[in-house]
Amino acid sequence: MKIKFKLLFIVLFGLLLKASAQDIFIVSGKVKNKLTGEPLVGVTVLSEKTNKTTVTDKTGSFSVPTQVGSTIIFSYVGMSTIKYVVTNSENIKIDMFEDIKAGDEVVVIGYGTQKKSVVTGSISSVKATDLENMVTPRIEEALQGRTSGVTIAASSGSPGAASTIYVRGVTSINGSDPLYVVDGVPITGGIDYLNPGDILSIELLKDGASAAIYGTKAAAGVVLITTKKGKAGNFQINFNGYSGTQAPARKLDLLNATQYATLRNESSLAAGTGIVFSNPKSLGAGTDWQSTIFNNSAKIENYQVSISGGNEKSTYYGSLGYFNQDGIVATSISNYKRFTASFNSTVKIKPWLNFGNNVSYAYIKSQGGLNTNSEYGGPLSSAINLDPVTKPVVTDAATLATSPYNIDSLPLIKNSNGNPYGISKYVGQEMTNPLSYIQTQQGNYGFSNNFVGNVYLEVEPIKGLKLKTNIGAKMGFYGSESFTPLYYLSSTVNNLSQNSFYRDFTKNLNWNWDNTASYSKSFGKHNFTALFGLGAQDATGSDVNAVYFGLPVTNFNDASMNYSVATTSKIGGGYEYQPYRLSSTYGRITYDYSGKYLFTGIVRRDGSSHFGDNNKYGTFPSVSVGWVPSKESFWNKSGVVNTLKIRGSYGVNGNDNLSAFSYESTIASGGVRNYTIGNGTGQQTGYSPNAPANPDLKWEQTAQTDLGFDAVFLKYFNITFDAYDKKTTNMLLQLQLPGYVGSTGAPFGNIASLENKGLELELGFNKKIKEVTLSLKSNISYIKNEITNIGANPYLSGATFQASNYEISRTAVGQPLGAFYGFQTVGIFQNQQEINSYLGKGGKIFQPNAKPGDFKYANISGDSTLSSNDRKFIGDPTPHWSIGFTATASWKGFDLLLFAQGVTGNQIFQAVRRLDIANSNYSTKALSRWTGQGTSNDYPRLVDGDPNGNFTNPSNFYLESGAYLRLKTLQIGYTLPKSVAQKLGLQKSARIYISSNNLLTLTKYDGYDPEIGGGSYGIDRGIYPQARSFLVGLNITL
Amino acid sequence: MRNKLLIYIFVLATIELVASSCKKDFLQTNPAGEFLQSNYYQTGAQVYTGVVAAYSPLAFQYVNQYTDEYIDKQMVSNTLSDECYAGGGGATDVPGLQACNTYSLNAAVGPQAVLFVRNFTGIYRANLILQVLSNGSSISGLSAGDKSRYIAEMKWLRAYYYFDLVRLFKNVPLFTTPVPSSQYFSATQATPAAVYAQIEKDLNDAIPGLPPIVSASDNGRVSQGAAMALLGKVILYQNNTGRMLEAASWFEKVNSSGIYQLQSNFANIFDPANKFNSESIFEITHSFNVGNDWSNLEGVTGNIYTQMVGPRTYTGPKYYSAGWSFSPIIPAFQQFMHNDPRYKYTILDVDSLTKATNSGYIKGYQNTGFFIKKFAPLAQYASTTGNQALNFTNDYIEIRLADTYLMEAESIIRGGGTLSTAQNYLDQVRARVGLPSVPATLANIYNERELELATEGHRWFDLVRTGQAPTVLSFKGFTANKNEILPIPLDELNNTKLVQNPGYN
Repeated sequence: MKIKFKLLFIVLFGLLLKASAQDIFIVSGKVKNKLTGEPLVGVTVLSEKTNKTTVTDKTGSFSVPTQVGSTIIFSYVGMSTIKYVVTNSENIKIDMFEDIKAGDEVVVIGYGTQKKSVVTGSISSVKATDLENMVTPRIEEALQGRTSGVTIAASSGSPGAASTIYVRGVTSINGSDPLYVVDGVPITGGIDYLNPGDILSIELLKDGASAAIYGTKAAAGVVLITTKKGKAGNFQINFNGYSGTQAPARKLDLLNATQYATLRNESSLAAGTGIVFSNPKSLGAGTDWQSTIFNNSAKIENYQVSISGGNEKSTYYGSLGYFNQDGIVATSISNYKRFTASFNSTVKIKPWLNFGNNVSYAYIKSQGGLNTNSEYGGPLSSAINLDPVTKPVVTDAATLATSPYNIDSLPLIKNSNGNPYGISKYVGQEMTNPLSYIQTQQGNYGFSNNFVGNVYLEVEPIKGLKLKTNIGAKMGFYGSESFTPLYYLSSTVNNLSQNSFYRDFTKNLNWNWDNTASYSKSFGKHNFTALFGLGAQDATGSDVNAVYFGLPVTNFNDASMNYSVATTSKIGGGYEYQPYRLSSTYGRITYDYSGKYLFTGIVRRDGSSHFGDNNKYGTFPSVSVGWVPSKESFWNKSGVVNTLKIRGSYGVNGNDNLSAFSYESTIASGGVRNYTIGNGTGQQTGYSPNAPANPDLKWEQTAQTDLGFDAVFLKYFNITFDAYDKKTTNMLLQLQLPGYVGSTGAPFGNIASLENKGLELELGFNKKIKEVTLSLKSNISYIKNEITNIGANPYLSGATFQASNYEISRTAVGQPLGAFYGFQTVGIFQNQQEINSYLGKGGKIFQPNAKPGDFKYANISGDSTLSSNDRKFIGDPTPHWSIGFTATASWKGFDLLLFAQGVTGNQIFQAVRRLDIANSNYSTKALSRWTGQGTSNDYPRLVDGDPNGNFTNPSNFYLESGAYLRLKTLQIGYTLPKSVAQKLGLQKSARIYISSNNLLTLTKYDGYDPEIGGGSYGIDRGIYPQARSFLVGLNITL
Repeated sequence: MRNKLLIYIFVLATIELVASSCKKDFLQTNPAGEFLQSNYYQTGAQVYTGVVAAYSPLAFQYVNQYTDEYIDKQMVSNTLSDECYAGGGGATDVPGLQACNTYSLNAAVGPQAVLFVRNFTGIYRANLILQVLSNGSSISGLSAGDKSRYIAEMKWLRAYYYFDLVRLFKNVPLFTTPVPSSQYFSATQATPAAVYAQIEKDLNDAIPGLPPIVSASDNGRVSQGAAMALLGKVILYQNNTGRMLEAASWFEKVNSSGIYQLQSNFANIFDPANKFNSESIFEITHSFNVGNDWSNLEGVTGNIYTQMVGPRTYTGPKYYSAGWSFSPIIPAFQQFMHNDPRYKYTILDVDSLTKATNSGYIKGYQNTGFFIKKFAPLAQYASTTGNQALNFTNDYIEIRLADTYLMEAESIIRGGGTLSTAQNYLDQVRARVGLPSVPATLANIYNERELELATEGHRWFDLVRTGQAPTVLSFKGFTANKNEILPIPLDELNNTKLVQNPGYN
């Protein structure tokens, strides 16, 4: 009705004009896509002089009243706006280009925004549209593969597990976690509270110049997160949900019982200790322990409802989210649930006064009583190492009559039928029957409640000047509960004395307060923005915990601290965080001339309570410049390169990530300070300083130079390239003091340095080909990390490998951080002759104790016999190359998404088999072991005690390439046609999709998963693998 | 409208001003539950904890089960001497001790790092407390008497630690305050004479501040007697004939004080149930601590050497069953002592014992069948809770009366003093175990020292200071003008100005 009226009005008005005034006439025309030749529907057509607007119809045609000399503006989303000056009343034909600049996107840069076209730093953006409908429970996962310059590896596939994220490599040996800033609140103590469904955009400040606005905290990169906000005049309700199942993608190939017994006999015989199993064949296939813990239909689900809307004066957005993921390993003790609620609003109180707030709450409950990457017990480690001979459950009477099953006093764990779970006679230490282990961990969980929010007030007293005060806080209440029942899992893993119930509760509060003044002004073609700010941050926290022993209950659900137990059976503990405070002053000036010549300068000065009076304050400057030659008059925009921006920047960032009062000398007591004074029994507690004070302790510094360009070429391709050199100096390391100083501890000093050099390329292609809209995005990053100084230390010892005498990684000058270090095998001695003729210095037999079938080790030292000096750097756990690839295509209502991610240039140290447990099960690789001359040149003989150290010496034998390419997401969706949707009462849109995560992983690595982040980076100790999932999802907007 | 604007600007500006003016105080934070050195040692009780910490290194026994190193001064000096081999489970068991036994010491291999650090740790802690007490300001709850006693104790300890250092390493840096950071890597070695001079000064200073007799509740802390005896010993070790009577006079003060008496029964001297007996002048204490186990070795207070010298996997009577068979007695030394009345309290004949009782033990590396008895792991004193191996409570009697008797006799003879006094002290030592008088010659006094003080850690120092080491220890590979002292530890040479001792480069 309304439309009809409008049309009528326009027609009447037009006629009237035509009749009465010669200078106003109606011009008609047609708009089409220059590329496809198709008519464009719905293009907004505005005649400036007459101030009349219309839109093009189904055939791309329009008519609008205008005058001679008036400009008609044609605008359409995704197309370059066209201005046409009317000269006469002839029909106009307009060809519109797809907008290939995308130049007016706004980028968040910290305490403000900037038009992407004038950004001079190296900033990668990820938009909500890239994240929606993805199974990305955590933000780190959301970033993986999305942009260049980040190396991200999940610490495990355990639900809710964090990822290790390196922005442009390892920034410091003291930690390389980037700073997360959510709506202006710097987040410490975990980002897992954030529901990725609430994210509008993520900006990654990669270069030192951009990050300098966050000075102290920015050395390892800054991740700026902006959450979704309401929009004026657009009330909508959105539902997003998916549900699916997950399964492990791969199992390890382990020996079955017969194979196992055969090899165990062989290994034992070789050591002269007789056979272990008298009749291997009779054992059959035995127990497949892995199948007892893996779940092929673990649930995953995510639901989110959001509302948003507003008017010119105020906007709001609110959402509720629920995410629930079961683990694929030992599901009953592996689960992650997150409930999130968030709300934000903005109010324009006066034209010059704005108020806004963000509030969010998240509750997380996580069960994870598993060692997710450890060779020391837990379901995975046990499943890998347990012998396949032991039965999962003991049912036969003969066995039940033997020890330990026949000892009534032992708290054996039994299944629902009352049968005890099997206990291995062969594999002990921490290894236990995972089925019974799981029973002892029931109910144990960790929880967190996080409140994150900020409020701001912004005044614009004169146009262009904005004064803003912003207070943000993150308040966390988190802890854990666990119940340890009486149990007997094995002779080494048991709790026979009394049960215990533990509860731990921590609260913390981090707040920040920033006051900024910014002023923007343009003089002709000169555009300035200046920002000045003052900030303060504070972090506090405390913990209490208690454990009750001997509760009169047998399981977690009945456990309660309401039971009264003797005072001596209650033990309490707790701690306070050491205080941390930061005070900041910062400023930024951005300038551009006509969008062609660009400049940004930043200075931040931070004061940190982590440093003494000598160096409390650190100053972090940066400068970046850009030139956009494609805006110069000489540039031919329709040539090969359509737009080009060249950027260069240099910036210094800091890191105060050290424990409080490191600059001071703290006093410690006990241990090596006690002395026995009195009648031979009384120990007196002594106190003395830990380490001498180092009042000169100062900031770690990371200085980075970045050169790059952004370009659009051949109209449909866009490219971003960066090359950088990032140097971290003054890294904190403990000074190795000479013994004559006499201190018990060593002080920290600013000693070490390292360097990262890298190249980054992002390439995109967007084109609509007939009815298919195609978008391809790819990124590739190369990084080289090198330690350049570790002071007087010859090396820093890295990861350990079970009970081996040797560390398996070292940090040393000239090498990447934590490079693998070990022996180099050069084949296997096939016979005694080869051993005798393998000579070291002076003609001595190099490995006199070796036997045929043992590894031949390279003589790296040049010495006469094999020693610890015959080790070298043999690999790098950190990938040198990271790539990501996203392809989306849509055709009519259908859409397809393919997202792949991968790394290469790294090695994985596979250390899953326990060496100190002779009877641990083997990988089927052991079937190809050396058994006689010519049988193998890469897998040595099996012999108990391993006298040649074939397995206990860390060597290249354990290393495999960590390269992989993973199809992270494959998704097919269908958006209901409007007519159908509306019939169903869905006013705006409805889309259903099916999706698979981790459908395919291409890798030569033969462990569970080549993606190994976390504390044991690149070392597979039996990693909890990532799940392969299949989902169905629904996305409705009302 | 404009007024309102001004108000808002004013408010914001004020906020910013407040924020910035608060800054200085804002960044001043106090530690939670942690003392800082800069605000510790404020009370008498706090100073006392520092005194305890300065004593603590006396009992240091370096234990590292991963590198198989177990080191303290007594096991080192026994192993360096002609009394004991290294022993243990094999030729690589406790490499530092094995290197002592064969004199294959070098900067990297040997016990020196542990001993070096032990003594300098003590020196640092003593220097720290001396610094705290020297600044004149009164400390609440610290009486003048306690203050002067603490100062005296710290000087005694500094002297004691330096005496060990100068004997073991000869060339060491000398610090009388905590090492300033400017000298962390630039300190140089002092002359031995300068070190000795400082030791003597410290002991002279200490004597008046120390109590003549230490009350039972303070057992383990030093007395005037300990200071006088140590001062005499320090002078004796400098081998200056002209000062021998000076040394003798200090010993005489101790020996004639009436405070100390020889134990009537030699066997009782080392009984863990007879600590701080009448013969003990200075004793290094060990005690039981249930908290120490293999995963918590920090500050082990038990005497591990006791565990180490026990026969390996022993199943016979009287003794704890799982020693580690270190420090087996060298047969020549066993023969030397065989007919002495002190033999059966000094050397344990495990071969005979096990044969007689039809029990057994595993013969460890360099087994001779003879073991140290003075510190043997007696089953009756093995702990029944906590880790047995780490919790033997046997003390070391670092200075006892028989030793000061013999040192006085020696210094009188060497200094040309009153022979009858020397003869009297030698006779008393022999008479205690029922031996007749022998003439008080140097040879007889040294012979008596060897018998009386066997395996107590004095023998090697005696051999070195009397110049007998090169001949007596040649069978172990002792090199003259080199092995009289230990090498400076490798870690102390890295990045410092210290110079390696002659022969160890």
